[in-house]
Amino acid sequence: MTEAPSQAVGRMRVAESVALAVAALVLTAGIGALLLLVGGYDPGAAAAAMVRGAFGSWTAFTSITLVRSVPLILTGLAVAFAFRAGVWNIGAEGQLYAGALAAVWVGLQGAALPAVLLVPLVLIASWVAGAFWALVPTLMRLRLGVGEVITTILMNFVGIYLAAYMVHGPLQERRGVFPQTDAIPEAGRLPALLPGTSLHWGFALSVVLAAALAVVLRYSRFGFRLRAVGASTEAASVAGRIDVRRVLLVAFLGSGAIAGMAGGVQISGVTFALYEDLSPGWGYTAIAVALLAGLNPVGVIVTGILFGALQAGAGAMQRDAGIPAAWVGVVEALVILAVLVIDRVRRRVSEEHS
Amino acid sequence: MHGVLGANGAGKSTLFNVLGGLLRPDAGRVEVDGQPVTLASPRDAWRHGIGLVHQHFTLVPRLTVLENLALGTRGVAGRPAAVRRATRELMERTGLSVPLDEAVEGLGVGDRQRVEILKALQRDPRILVLDEPTAVLTPGEASGLFDLLRDLAADGRAVALVAHKIDEVLQASRRLTVLRDGATVLHCLREETTEAEIVRAMVGDDAVDAAALGLGRRVERESAGGSAASDRPAGSDRSASRDDGGPRHGPQPADGPSVVASLAAVRVDGRGGPGLDGVDLTVHAGEIVGVAGVDGNGQRELAAVLAGRRAPDGGTVHLCQAVGFISQDRSREGLVGDFDLTENVALAFHRRPEFQKGSWLRWDRLEEEAEAIRGRHDVQAPSVRTLARNLSGGNQQRVIVGRELAMAGELLVAENPTRGLDIAAAAFVHDELERLAAGGVAVVLISTDLDEVLALSHRVVAIARGRLQEVPGDRRSRKGVGSLMLGAETTHD
Amino acid sequence: MNQAELVLFLEAAVRLGVPLALAALGETISERCGVINIGLEGSIIAGALGGALGALAFENALLGVGIGAFAGLLCALVFAVVAVGLGADQIITGTAVTLGGLGMTGAIYRARFGATGTELSLPTLTSVRIPGLADLPLVGTALFDQAVTAYLAYLLAPLLWYFLFRTPYGLELRAVGEAPDAAEAAGVQVVRVRFLATLFGGLLAGVAGAHLALAHTGTCAEHLTAGRGLIAIGVVVLGRWNPALVLAAALFFGAASAFQFFLQALGLEVAYQIFLALPYLLTLAALAGWVGRARAPAALALPWESKR
Repeated sequence: MTEAPSQAVGRMRVAESVALAVAALVLTAGIGALLLLVGGYDPGAAAAAMVRGAFGSWTAFTSITLVRSVPLILTGLAVAFAFRAGVWNIGAEGQLYAGALAAVWVGLQGAALPAVLLVPLVLIASWVAGAFWALVPTLMRLRLGVGEVITTILMNFVGIYLAAYMVHGPLQERRGVFPQTDAIPEAGRLPALLPGTSLHWGFALSVVLAAALAVVLRYSRFGFRLRAVGASTEAASVAGRIDVRRVLLVAFLGSGAIAGMAGGVQISGVTFALYEDLSPGWGYTAIAVALLAGLNPVGVIVTGILFGALQAGAGAMQRDAGIPAAWVGVVEALVILAVLVIDRVRRRVSEEHS
Repeated sequence: MHGVLGANGAGKSTLFNVLGGLLRPDAGRVEVDGQPVTLASPRDAWRHGIGLVHQHFTLVPRLTVLENLALGTRGVAGRPAAVRRATRELMERTGLSVPLDEAVEGLGVGDRQRVEILKALQRDPRILVLDEPTAVLTPGEASGLFDLLRDLAADGRAVALVAHKIDEVLQASRRLTVLRDGATVLHCLREETTEAEIVRAMVGDDAVDAAALGLGRRVERESAGGSAASDRPAGSDRSASRDDGGPRHGPQPADGPSVVASLAAVRVDGRGGPGLDGVDLTVHAGEIVGVAGVDGNGQRELAAVLAGRRAPDGGTVHLCQAVGFISQDRSREGLVGDFDLTENVALAFHRRPEFQKGSWLRWDRLEEEAEAIRGRHDVQAPSVRTLARNLSGGNQQRVIVGRELAMAGELLVAENPTRGLDIAAAAFVHDELERLAAGGVAVVLISTDLDEVLALSHRVVAIARGRLQEVPGDRRSRKGVGSLMLGAETTHD
Repeated sequence: MNQAELVLFLEAAVRLGVPLALAALGETISERCGVINIGLEGSIIAGALGGALGALAFENALLGVGIGAFAGLLCALVFAVVAVGLGADQIITGTAVTLGGLGMTGAIYRARFGATGTELSLPTLTSVRIPGLADLPLVGTALFDQAVTAYLAYLLAPLLWYFLFRTPYGLELRAVGEAPDAAEAAGVQVVRVRFLATLFGGLLAGVAGAHLALAHTGTCAEHLTAGRGLIAIGVVVLGRWNPALVLAAALFFGAASAFQFFLQALGLEVAYQIFLALPYLLTLAALAGWVGRARAPAALALPWESKR
């Protein structure tokens, strides 16, 4: 039905990829500034406030920007991984919640265990839960041929409501006052990465994961098959004699697991408890993160931090320049559209030349 | 009737699209009745009385025949009742008959072409242009088509046939135009030229090009068959020399008739086609088995089974391990456009232990293999890091052929391997196939190009409606195989 | 439960189903020519905000609906330019448009109406009662004592059906959705058809959004749309891209959303999040059960460029 998402942005060399990203950012900044002016705001003040909020101080950078970038990097990796395989996983949001739920539950259950056991268990639980949340859309695509775009988005809503139900009911804190769970014990929490900051080991884990994914995609047997399937299922199946369905299955579930990990890491490293609206839409921002990075795992680290900065600066922007924080959504959308538009224009120009 | 001939890549399709308003010329003029016209869209073409019959049908599969015919007509004339009435009249006048209320996707190729022709005739064109109309027809159906075209021409219309098959066009046309490399190189009445001259015009005087299969070999065969042959006026009865049994040298399979693949009573359920309906086939080492048939009779399923991609729904298949496969849809199934040469070569080799190291691929070795293939088959590409989509069609095919030849341990399956290729590229493919067979590898050549099959194969098999029929030596001719392709019994011609 | 409670349930079902129906009918037209607009959500929320602002500015709910429709059209215009005009991927473009639409409307809402929690009082779309029909037992008030936009939905369904299947323009539209190359060869201007159809879908989605804001709640809370654009797409599939069936499917979904009232009336206490999730689960089930039998337009979601 649809062309593969990995073809939505054509294959480019790294240099071209970076040029595209920069051009997209410039275009976004331009249009964003224009829109702000129309709305009667001061783009300069907005940008200044944002930069200050994100990079203004060491604390701001490590404890806010980098910490905020962790779920974005992880969900960005999940989305990039899926898109490279030709799987439209728009369900990172729901998978994240599923992972967070599992993490909280295991964390609370395992109160008696030492940290060296509990932390890995919590993370593994989030992988499994995330993969599980991707299972229904996966099966619907592989067995029934139902496009996964809509099914994954629908599962997002189910996941959000499930989490809401849990924190209002079965998993609610013992006190019973707020709609949130109890905090998981110390043993289940990720240790701090940089002393004196809120930056936790989740950041290191996400960087390591990104590097691992990059290597796997580029050099391993499975990574090659995944890229082939993502680029062309026909060529992969005929010329490559690849079992397309198996590759899709692993890619889809793997993507779900990584997104689930984003939820688990957020619980274990930052919030320690689950509440409603844990995620301000990371699963959707992840699409912008992945696209701007050209679906390259290492690039996702960079764009993840960039979007983390954006979200970190949004609060400052609202405080200092009076622009509502929801504006960030517009910027993210502009980034995606800019990448798409510039890529299309680039392709048309090169076609006319050949 | 006017025949426009040219090899693949000579510019025939481009010319066709310009006439139909689907393509704007960068230079030059189009004149109708001596008046220059601009054809900026299909509607412009219609207004000037030009009707196109496309090679790849421009029908909407899920709509009914009537709806397809109504498409594009506006206003009152577009109402279903009016279209139905007009179509009935047209069908009576032309003798073409199609079921109006059936969806196009359920129709066979012959019916679809009839709809395509009706669509063109609907607007009462004074000029009818057909693009490779016989490509999807059996020889019998083709002659029926020519009868119809002759009637239409007799009506006072101009009919132009764009094709690359000389014989059919010659029989029907009064005037000829030959294109080569995008320019007209010959334009005359049929009786003013010979077939040899036409062939030379199509391929050029370059001896290398002329040594290509099909056209070139026909020239040589004619000159070998006696000096009088090549000077015979074009269009006269050539059946005698053309129906000589077998290809020029009567290729003999390499020694050792060991069986490389065998199918027994194989059934495959085809989606939207007959599939395979009880097929027996044995393939021996070193022989080229040609499977001739018109598209849609089970070739894709046969290819999939032989390539080991599809397990049969019934019957047994014995296959050797390493089977090479050249797909007919090279840009979609043969290569990944976004991959470079090394990665495309890796498509075939990623399963081989010698290119693996645990879970990793040995990219250094794969790059060497890609370099070797590039050199061996003279692929015009700056490096093995060039992306496949930046290569020309001929070079892409060289990569695919080179890769699959290297893959093929004992068997190579080739599905329309020269479709859409220019003469030089086609000749390259044929040479490689012959060389492979001479080296002891079995080749199954599945092709809709009857000349190709007849010229290359040691054994010929006809496929029709999912069944195979071996073609005995004395029936190795276009007519003989043609009737088997229709599924007719062996007795009558 | 007694008669009165059942009638309330049916009224709620229709009330909740109408915006779905409007959005889904518009999406049916655009999907029929091969464009899947995930940005529908953005159009709906734009319509809600536009409707609210318009109603406040003109102190008239109907004019508010008009502004809302226009806002929905603008949102769809962005989508159309990028996905249809430039041929970018429809899914990603749609997701971006929704993200942007939510962000933009959220920002404007904040700026205009202040922090969350304040309820506005907007001019509402009063119910229009159709005499005679509204007196039918059980369904009378549910179907025929609704806001004007409901009647728009009832009328559009058969009209669009007729348009699609009985007029030459509808034929062209369907051809574009099945085989755009063939349509082009037959003289149809593919890009123009897709563009107009997408804008039409955005227009109707805008009306749906305005209905949500103006027809009974009289408020415009931030998370008003909550994925209704997605459910509308599910409704289109359930209705097999046939306007008449789409209307029925939308009302069915409305009933599913209203189900909680039904159960409450029966005295059952079930967590309300389950009900919030119910439409989405239903859509999943619908997709699983029905896709096999219904066939989507063959060229759906495929970016298309002229071969000329």
